Amino acid sequence: MAQTRTTNRGGEARIGSGARVRGRIQGDGNLVVEGHVEGDVTLRGDLTIASGATVRGELVEAHSVSIAGLLEGDLTASGVVRLSSEARVRGTVRGMSVAMDDGARFSGRLECEFELPPELGGASRGETRARAAGRR
Amino acid sequence: MASTVIGTGITIEGEITSDDDVVVAGTVRGKLSAKEGITIEQGAIVEADVVGGSLIVGGSLTGNVTASERVDLQSGARVVGNVKAGRVTIADGAQFKGNVDMEV
Repeated sequence: MAQTRTTNRGGEARIGSGARVRGRIQGDGNLVVEGHVEGDVTLRGDLTIASGATVRGELVEAHSVSIAGLLEGDLTASGVVRLSSEARVRGTVRGMSVAMDDGARFSGRLECEFELPPELGGASRGETRARAAGRR
Repeated sequence: MASTVIGTGITIEGEITSDDDVVVAGTVRGKLSAKEGITIEQGAIVEADVVGGSLIVGGSLTGNVTASERVDLQSGARVVGNVKAGRVTIADGAQFKGNVDMEV
């Protein structure tokens, strides 16, 4: 039963668990993916990939990104990237900061800016690239 | 609440298929199909062929529509395309250009 709704002002968007999108998604607002997305995603807002959801795209850009589902592709975040314990990620992850919970599975490249502590030969500012071998 | 919502600031170019309801307040280009209801809200822009159970249009829709149940064009709607459904209502103030097929 569909009825008239005038809700969701402010650019909120959700791809429900029964939904599949094949194509390009762009937007200013936040996006929650509970279903399946195949294609590039470019958001000014935050991206949430819920548990059970899949996102496959060559380019995924958003502000902060939290992942509990499956992501395949190159992710660029201007904010925080958070991989929860159920997350499975394959590809390159670039973010201002990246948090990974115990149990998250990640295979690919992790690029984020941080300072190494001095005992690890740190003191050199700038981009440090860590290569994470994936546990599968 | 497993329905899909395309918010006002969001543009999707491609194909959307859903087993549940879909509400479009943003922009969709391509193809849109849902097993349940589809609502195209006022201000939304859809340039797509739409297939659904029932369809409510308050925004702008360019494309052919097939609904297994019904299609309601609300006041303020602007629809260009052919509509195929068992029941169709066009409210006063809705703009519509195209054919209606009610399978009589």
